[in-house]
Amino acid sequence: MPEIKVTPLGAGQDVGRSCILVSIAGKNVMLDCGMHMGYNDDRRFPDFSYITQNGRLTDFLDCVIISHFHLDHCGALPYFSEMVGYDGPIYMTHPTKAICPILLEDYRKITVDKKGETNFFTSQMIKDCMKKVVAVHLHQTVQVDEELEIKAYYAGHVLGAAMFQIKVGCESVVYTGDYNMTPDRHLGAAWIDKCRPDLLISESTYATTIRDSKRCRERDFLKKVHETVERGGKVLIPVFALGRAQELCILLETFWERMNLKAPIYFSTGLTEKANHYYKLFITWTNQKIRKTFVQRNMFEFKHIKAFDRAFADNPGPMVVFATPGMLHAGQSLQIFRKWAGNEKNMVIMPGYCVQGTVGHKILSGQRKLEMEGRQILEVKMQVEYMSFSAHADAKGIMQLIRQAEPRNVLLVHGEAKKMEFLKQKIEQEFHVSCFMPANGETTTILTNPCIPVDISLGLLKRETAIGPVPDAKKPKLMHGTLLMKDNSFRLVSPEQALKELGLAEHQLRFTCRVHIQDPRKEHETVLRVYNHLKG
Amino acid sequence: MTRECAALLPGVCAALADPRQPGLDDTCLEKLLDWFRSLTWFDQTVELVQDNPCLTELLTSVLALPDPSPSILSFTLQLAGILASSESRFQHLQQEKLLGRLFGQEGPRGSAAWEDASVRSAWVKGVHSMVHHQPALHFLCSTGSMEVIFTLQGDPSLFVASAASQLLVHMLTFSLESETTKALSTKDCDWPVCAQMIVKHIEESLQSGSASHIEQSLKLLSSLFGSCFGSCYAAWTEVLWLDIAKQIESFLLEETVQAQPVLANLLLNVARSPVFCSTEGNFWTLVTSALEHLTPVQAGPLAVGLLKLCKCPQDVRIQALTVLLQPMDCILRAASQPLECAGLLDESVSDPVAVESLLSSKTSCAGLLCQTLAHLEKLLSLKHLRVDLPCVSLLHSLMTILQFCNGFLSPASPLGSTISRNLINCFRVQKSALDVLAALSEKKDCDTLLGSLFDVLLAYLQSPNTNPTVLKKTFQATSKWLVHLQELSSSNSQWQQTEKILEDVFVVLQKRLCSPCWEVRDSSLEFLTAMTKCLRDQKEFRQCLLSSEVLRLTENLLEDPESYVRASAVTAVGHLALITCFAPEPPVIGNQYNKESIVAKLQEILSTDSEGFPRRAVISIFTKWLREGCTGQLADTEQFVSRVIQTVEHDLDWEVRLGGLELVEIFCSQTTCQLAQCPYAPVSSAVTSSTPQNELLRVFCRTKLFGFLFGSLCDCDKPVGQRACDVLVGLRAHFYPMSNLENPQEIEDSPAGRGVAWLQRTLRQGSLAQNFTMDGGDGVDFQDPESMMLALGAIDLLELHDELNKSSDHMEESPQSLLQDILAAVGTIEDNEVDCY
Repeated sequence: MPEIKVTPLGAGQDVGRSCILVSIAGKNVMLDCGMHMGYNDDRRFPDFSYITQNGRLTDFLDCVIISHFHLDHCGALPYFSEMVGYDGPIYMTHPTKAICPILLEDYRKITVDKKGETNFFTSQMIKDCMKKVVAVHLHQTVQVDEELEIKAYYAGHVLGAAMFQIKVGCESVVYTGDYNMTPDRHLGAAWIDKCRPDLLISESTYATTIRDSKRCRERDFLKKVHETVERGGKVLIPVFALGRAQELCILLETFWERMNLKAPIYFSTGLTEKANHYYKLFITWTNQKIRKTFVQRNMFEFKHIKAFDRAFADNPGPMVVFATPGMLHAGQSLQIFRKWAGNEKNMVIMPGYCVQGTVGHKILSGQRKLEMEGRQILEVKMQVEYMSFSAHADAKGIMQLIRQAEPRNVLLVHGEAKKMEFLKQKIEQEFHVSCFMPANGETTTILTNPCIPVDISLGLLKRETAIGPVPDAKKPKLMHGTLLMKDNSFRLVSPEQALKELGLAEHQLRFTCRVHIQDPRKEHETVLRVYNHLKG
Repeated sequence: MTRECAALLPGVCAALADPRQPGLDDTCLEKLLDWFRSLTWFDQTVELVQDNPCLTELLTSVLALPDPSPSILSFTLQLAGILASSESRFQHLQQEKLLGRLFGQEGPRGSAAWEDASVRSAWVKGVHSMVHHQPALHFLCSTGSMEVIFTLQGDPSLFVASAASQLLVHMLTFSLESETTKALSTKDCDWPVCAQMIVKHIEESLQSGSASHIEQSLKLLSSLFGSCFGSCYAAWTEVLWLDIAKQIESFLLEETVQAQPVLANLLLNVARSPVFCSTEGNFWTLVTSALEHLTPVQAGPLAVGLLKLCKCPQDVRIQALTVLLQPMDCILRAASQPLECAGLLDESVSDPVAVESLLSSKTSCAGLLCQTLAHLEKLLSLKHLRVDLPCVSLLHSLMTILQFCNGFLSPASPLGSTISRNLINCFRVQKSALDVLAALSEKKDCDTLLGSLFDVLLAYLQSPNTNPTVLKKTFQATSKWLVHLQELSSSNSQWQQTEKILEDVFVVLQKRLCSPCWEVRDSSLEFLTAMTKCLRDQKEFRQCLLSSEVLRLTENLLEDPESYVRASAVTAVGHLALITCFAPEPPVIGNQYNKESIVAKLQEILSTDSEGFPRRAVISIFTKWLREGCTGQLADTEQFVSRVIQTVEHDLDWEVRLGGLELVEIFCSQTTCQLAQCPYAPVSSAVTSSTPQNELLRVFCRTKLFGFLFGSLCDCDKPVGQRACDVLVGLRAHFYPMSNLENPQEIEDSPAGRGVAWLQRTLRQGSLAQNFTMDGGDGVDFQDPESMMLALGAIDLLELHDELNKSSDHMEESPQSLLQDILAAVGTIEDNEVDCY
C-alpha cells in the first residue's frame, strides 16, 4: 500500500517553531523552516541532522515550502539554505517573498546588536536565500518536477499567508500553515476547495477555544489608548516590523480621524512607507472592504501617523509610538520604554507574546522592578497591557476547514498536546476520519489507496456519454466496462470489444434456484403476487 | 550558586512540583537544566544537593504526584541525571532512594507516562548525564535499564532512538575506558560487565535476521567507530572489529540485508579509526570489495570519505576515485561518436552497466549526477588530495553535462540521447555542474578547452531559458574562469581570445542588467563587482568595460525599485569609480563616470533612501574610497567626511551609524599620519599654538566628528556606543600619550570646562540622555578645539569603555533572571493565554 509519512521537527505538539517533513510517493518536502525565538543558541533552529543521516540535504529534499512570513515559520530558512547547505527549490507566495527578508533582517539586526553574535546569518545570506525562492500565485499549480506539484490557497492570518496542497500522482496532502477562518480588518478568511486530500495537516493553536470577537479586543485597545492619551500620557506599542503593526495602524488611524484627535502617532524606523508599499502592491491579498475603498481612499496612506525621530521621545505631552522590536529586547522600543517606564500616566501595550528573558516577558508576568544592564534597577510605574491580536482559526474554524476540504485523514500540529487531544477526539467523532498528533521526532504513517491509471476506450466513453447526462467534473458517475490487463497496461473497454480483442466467444450462464413458498392462498394467486413483487 | 539564586530556588522548586500550577514555558525548563548542567560541571561535590534540599524535595514531590505532567516529569528525570553526574551526589540520591524510583523498574518506565516521547527522551538524557562514574554503570546494569536502552534504539521517535544509540556509545566507551586497567587483547571475561552486555547485544542483533535490529546495530557500531579518534581506544576497537568483521562481510556480499548505506558508513568510520591506519590487512580487502559491490549511489559517500583519509592504501584510493568518476566517464562515452573519445577511465571498478542503467532512467539520472558532482566539488576543495584528478577530461565531461542540460548537444548514440533527454532543463544538475566548474578553475592544465568552455558559459548567460539561480552560478563560474583566462593570457600573450570573450561577456551583461527579474539584475551586478575587483588593473577588461553600456546601465540601477538591487548597484558603481574616476591615470576614451555626479548620487542615496541596504552599501563604499585615498587632498577629504557624518548621525539604521564610525576611525588615523610627524611627540596643553597636534584637533573639530562620537556614546544600540568609545580612546591615547589631564576637578572654572562637565553628566545617563544636541546648543561646543581637548582628557573613557562592554545579557542569560521569571509566571498564566504569532 502506498503511504504518506509525516515527521515534525518542530510544531509537533508545540507552538515554538514549525518544520514538518512529509514523504509522499517517494518525494520529500519540508513544510516551513521556523526559528524558536526563545533560545539564543543552536536550539533556536530545528535539528536538520535528522532529515538525512547519510547524504546531502539537497539530494534528499525535493523542495521547501514556506506558508507565511512569521519567523516561527521562516526564521531558519537562511540558516538552512546558506549555512547548512540546502540548495534546492524554495516556494512561497509573492507577498511572503517580499516581506520575509524584512523580518529576517529585523531579527538579524536585533540579534547581532544585542549579542554581537557571529554564528548567525548575515544580510548577504538573507539576500542569497531569497534569490533562490520561487514565488507562487494563489491557485496556480506549480510543477516542482514531473511528478510533484503544489498549489497555494488563501489562508488569511497575515498578508500573503497560504495553505499549500502537495500532490504526487493521485496522493495529496494539504498543509494549512497558520490560518484564520474569519475575516479581520485588513485580511479575508481562509478558503480551500473540496480537494479531498489524503491528509490535512492543520494548525491547532486555538484547538479548544471559541474566540471572542476580535471587535471586542479592538474596542478595548482603542479605549485604553484613548484614555491614556486623554490624561496626557504616552503610549508605547512595541511591534515587529510588519504584520500586526499595520492592522493596529489602520485601527488607530480610523479612530483618530473619527474622534478628531490631535495627539501625534509615530512609527519608528521608517516602516510605514515600506508597509504602505507592500500593502499597495499586494492589494489583491487584502479583504474586500480594503480593495473596494482603495480607489477612493487608500487605507494604508496614514494621515495621522508620522515617522518617528529619536528626539521625539523626550517631547512633553501625549503621544502614541509604534517601535521595534516587539518584545522589548533591545534597540528603540527598549530605549523608549526605559524613558517612559517611571511615569504612571504612561502605558505600554504588548500586542503579541514575548519569550522568556525579554523585558516584554518580565513586565507581562507582573515584574515591576527590572535589573537592567549595569545592574541598575528600573522601576516600572507605567501601565502594562497585553492584548492578543493573533489571527488563528479557533476550534469552530478548524472544523469548518475540515468540512470544506473533506480530507481522509487529519494531522494536528502547532498546538499544545492537551488541546490537540480534545480536538482530535472531536474530529474523529464528527467526521469519522483518523486524526493524528505526532510529537516532534515522531513519524506518523498514513496508508493511502493505491491509484492505478487506466485508459478507457473511446467507444465505451462515447456510449456512456450518449446514455447519461452531460459529463460534469463535480458529479462523478459510475461506469461499467471490462478491465483488460495486458502487457503491463490497464484498459477499460466495452464487454463486446474485450471479447473481440481476446478472440473469445460469449457464453450466457443462467442461474436457477428453487424456492419453497408456504402460502395458504391458491397457487396462481401466489404466483401472481411473486411476479408482481419481482417486477416492482 | 549566588546567594540570590539560592534564595529564589526553593520557591521555584515548590512551584514546579505544584500540580495546580499551569505548565511553564518549555524554554524556561530547558534553560533551568542548562544552569544546573553548568553548576555541576565544575563542582563534583555533594554540597549542591546538601545545601539546597529543595532539589531532592522536588524529585520526591514529583514522584509522589499521581499523574505528573509529561513536561514536569521529563524535567525531573533530566535534573536527577544531572545531579547524579558526580559519584558523591549519586550516592546521596541513592540514600534518598530516588534514583531507583526514577530510572528503575518502579519508575516511569512502567507507567502510562512512558507513552509520551518526551518522557522517554528525558529518561535517556537523564541516564546519559549520570554515566560519568562506575556506580552509575553498575546501577544501570543491575536495574534492567540496559534492556530498556536496547529497546529504545528502535523507538518510533527519531529523537529517542538517536539519543539511545548515542547513550550506548557513551556507555561502552566509558565502561572500557574507566573500568579496565589492562590492555584488552581479546574479548573475554576481562571486559567490564556493561561493555559485555552491549557487545553481546550487538552480536545477537547482527545474527538475529531481523532487518531493523541489524540496521540498529550497524548504526550503533558506526557511531561507535565514528567516535573513536584517540589511540587509547585502539586495542578494544580492533578486538570488536575482528569480532564482527565476518558478519559484516557476509552482509555486504550476500546482500541479504538491505542496509548498504549504513554498511558503507560503518566501513568509512572504521577506516577513519586509528587502528586501521596501517595499509595492510583484511580490512582494506573488505573496503575494496565494498566499492565493487555497492551500487554507485551507495559507494559514492564511501569513496569520497576514503579519498579524504590521510592513511589509506594507494590502490584503494585509486579505486575510490574510479568509482566517483564512473558516471562522468559514462557521460563522456555516451556523448562521443564511436571511436572518437576514449572516455575518462581505463577500467571501471564495478559493472559499468549499473551506472549506465542509472543514468538511463529519468528518476535516477539527476540524483546520481548531483551526488557525484557534489563529491567532486568536495574533492576539489581539498588542499591535499593524494591522487591525481584527470582535470581536462573532467572539464570535458562537465561541459558535456551542461550541454545536455540546455539541449545544445544531442548525441547520436542511444545512451547519449537517453541521457540528454533525461537532463534537459534539469536545474539541479546544472547548478551542481556549475559549482564543480567554478571549483575546477583553480586547477591547471585545462587551458586547451578554454575556448569551448566559454562557449558553454556564454550560451547559459545568453539563453532566456536559464533559471535565475542557475544564472547566478554561471556568473560565479564565469568570473572565476575569467581570472584564470587573464592570468593565462598574461603568460602566453593571447590577448585576442581574452578580448573576444570579454566583449561577449559585456554584451550579455548589458542585457542581463535590464532583466525584469530583480534576482537576475542583482546577480549581474554582483558579477560585475566581482569582475571589477579582480580585473580592474587589466587593460583588456578596462577597454571592454569603457566601450560598453555597462557603466550607464549600472548607474541607472541606483534608482532600481528593489532595494537589494540598489545596494548592489551602489557597490558596483563604487568599484567601477575606482577605474573611471579615481584611477591614477584616468582613462581618456570611452564611457566614464563624472566624479562629482557619482559622489552626489551616492550621497543622495545615503541621505534619502528608505531602506537600510543601499545606505549601508554607500557607507561601506565611502569607507573603501577613503581607505584607498580616493577622496582627494586633506581639505577635500575633510569636507567629504564632514558631509557623511552629518548625514549618518541621524540614520535610523544602527549599522549605517556604525559604518559612519568606521569611516571616522579611518579618517582620524589617516589625518594623524599626515599631520603629525611624530605621533609620540609631547603635546602642549595650550591648544592655541600651531603644533601639528593642534592643527589635527582643529581639523577634527571642523569635520564635526566629536559631536558624532560623543553623541554615539549614548546611542540606544550598543555596538555603536562601543565603537565610538574605541575611536575616542584611540584619540585620547594620541592627544594624551603619557597621562591624564592634570587637575580634572578644576575643569568647571572656564566656560569650556563647564561645557565638558555637562557632557560628563550627560554621558552618565547613557542611552537615556535627553536631546543630546550635536551642535553644542546646550552645554558643550563640539567644534571648539579647546573644549574637545579638555573633554578627551577629563572624561574617563576607559571606565565608559568598560561600562559599555559590560554584558547586556543579564536579563536574558542570568540564572537569577530566569528564576525570577519562573516565580513571576507562577499563577499569572491563565490556561488559554498561551499565545504565539
